[in-house]
Amino acid sequence: MAPLKHLEMENSIIDACFRDFCASHGILTVEDFLLHDLYELAAFAEREANADRLKEGITVMLSLIEVKCRPLLNGMELLEDLQRNKHTLSSGDNGADSLLQGGLREGQLTELVGPSSSGKTQFCMQASASVAEKQDGRVFYIDTGNSFCARRIAQFICGSSDAAALRKRVLSRISCHTVYDIYTMFDTLQGLEVALRSQMNVNEYRLRLLVVDSISSLITPILGGSGSQGTCPCTTRFDGGTWISA
Amino acid sequence: MGEHEARGWIRSDETAKQMLSRVLGDRAFLLLPPLHRVPLRAGNVVEITGSSPTAKTQILIQAAITCILPKTWNGVHYGGLEKLVLFLDLDCRFDVLRLSDMLKNRLLEAYRIGNGAWWQLEESNVKTQDKSKIVYDEELYVSCMKRFLYLRCYDSLELLSTLKVLFYTLHYRIRLQEACGSQVGVLMIDSIGAFHWTDRLSSSLALDKNNRKSLSLTNVVETIVQEMKKLMQVHSLVVIATKATIYEEKYPTNENNRNISSHSDLFGNPSSKAQQPPFREFMPSSWQAFVTHKIFIRKSDDHHKSLGQQNLSAYLLEWLQPQLSSIDRFIVDDVSKLSHLQVLL
Repeated sequence: MAPLKHLEMENSIIDACFRDFCASHGILTVEDFLLHDLYELAAFAEREANADRLKEGITVMLSLIEVKCRPLLNGMELLEDLQRNKHTLSSGDNGADSLLQGGLREGQLTELVGPSSSGKTQFCMQASASVAEKQDGRVFYIDTGNSFCARRIAQFICGSSDAAALRKRVLSRISCHTVYDIYTMFDTLQGLEVALRSQMNVNEYRLRLLVVDSISSLITPILGGSGSQGTCPCTTRFDGGTWISA
Repeated sequence: MGEHEARGWIRSDETAKQMLSRVLGDRAFLLLPPLHRVPLRAGNVVEITGSSPTAKTQILIQAAITCILPKTWNGVHYGGLEKLVLFLDLDCRFDVLRLSDMLKNRLLEAYRIGNGAWWQLEESNVKTQDKSKIVYDEELYVSCMKRFLYLRCYDSLELLSTLKVLFYTLHYRIRLQEACGSQVGVLMIDSIGAFHWTDRLSSSLALDKNNRKSLSLTNVVETIVQEMKKLMQVHSLVVIATKATIYEEKYPTNENNRNISSHSDLFGNPSSKAQQPPFREFMPSSWQAFVTHKIFIRKSDDHHKSLGQQNLSAYLLEWLQPQLSSIDRFIVDDVSKLSHLQVLL
């Protein structure tokens, strides 16, 4: 909720006069500005003494909003982005790969649903090992049920001659975080988002896989009740990696 | 006012025939399969409701392909509208490969039909591995893909700002795109209810200043509807929105009762069905008033055995507004194509 006065530093048109005018219509932040009809606002501005300046202020606000908007992509650009950035990561298991038509796709959320003890955690760990070893990527593993086992992951890594060094290298790319409630998970994810945004150098060990094991144990305490299916009230944007949520 | 001016004022501007031909030329009827039962005009808002997964996005993609294809190209008839499609992805789940595959399939099919080689169609459905016979026009494919414009929004404030900015800058952005064709035919929204829960949460953070509009669910949806109305006025387009039902039906036996009653009163009163929509409506009234056409899709109980002996699930598509007595049944097969099977009554 950015209050309008923070914008004055860079845009001198949004001065106290403009802000008073906006406040008289109940607009104190940028979000309030979005909720209002701009034509109506411009018509009200006509009646004021400094009409031109106010209307210029409205135009500047609109251009500031436009800068934040994403560009329109057409179908060919989407395809190029897919081929260039969104690779398919093998999940380590041939059967699952053939089911997923190649493996886990970057930019997509894959959900594993199953009753307890059906091998979901094993699949997550195998996928982590496969991504860390074969695709040279980092893995961010969010564990909610104390089921993460580094030894098991080491077993998944097939080694050649210098097995120990390889294992150490691969395991160092997997970072495990234990969370027990949804709010800690939000914090962790936000921290991850900030870290990814501020990452200046895109080295080869970039984050490729985000695993949440398991999301149901975080959400069930909040949802409770019966008959109400809802989506998780968290919107996180991870465009370059893959989620698996078990 | 002199007599001359008075007469001029009373004289008509155009006859009804002229008006009809002008309006039908500007805002023509669109027939988008599989929604072809009801012709759509610019200004119509279609809402497709169904639980997840019921092939709603698939329907959108098929309708988009009909929109972006040209009517004819190099002598082959494709039967499209050659208009742009603006796809607002609120679910952020769109897979461009599905669009690409379906488009290639359509181009191949139309090419084969156009060249009188329709008997090769059956072969191509069976031998899906045979890639050597791809004879579609690459240039046509590229120009069609360029007519598909995509935008993603991660929360309702982003959606609001996108709609506001699009209203002022859509023409300019289309020209930047160098799209082949400059008129937007359809605005598609994937999952209009995507931010329902987040908006409901934020309305509990309502502020207590008097004349300030709070960021509540109703206010946000009202503003979204307002912005879309403004967009629709300037660019004559059809809006198609999908909506996932988020409340489970508490009494699933109701559906069987409904089926039985609908068979019995075939020629009976159709309005009795309209009184009970088969899902619980969660969108605010401003959105409900905005929608002009409603479709409901549900999974059919019996599965379909296709040629490949695969158990594909069938879906039933029902028009709720305008109420039609027929129900379409379709399956989604291997090539991600929606094939109509039969019409149920």
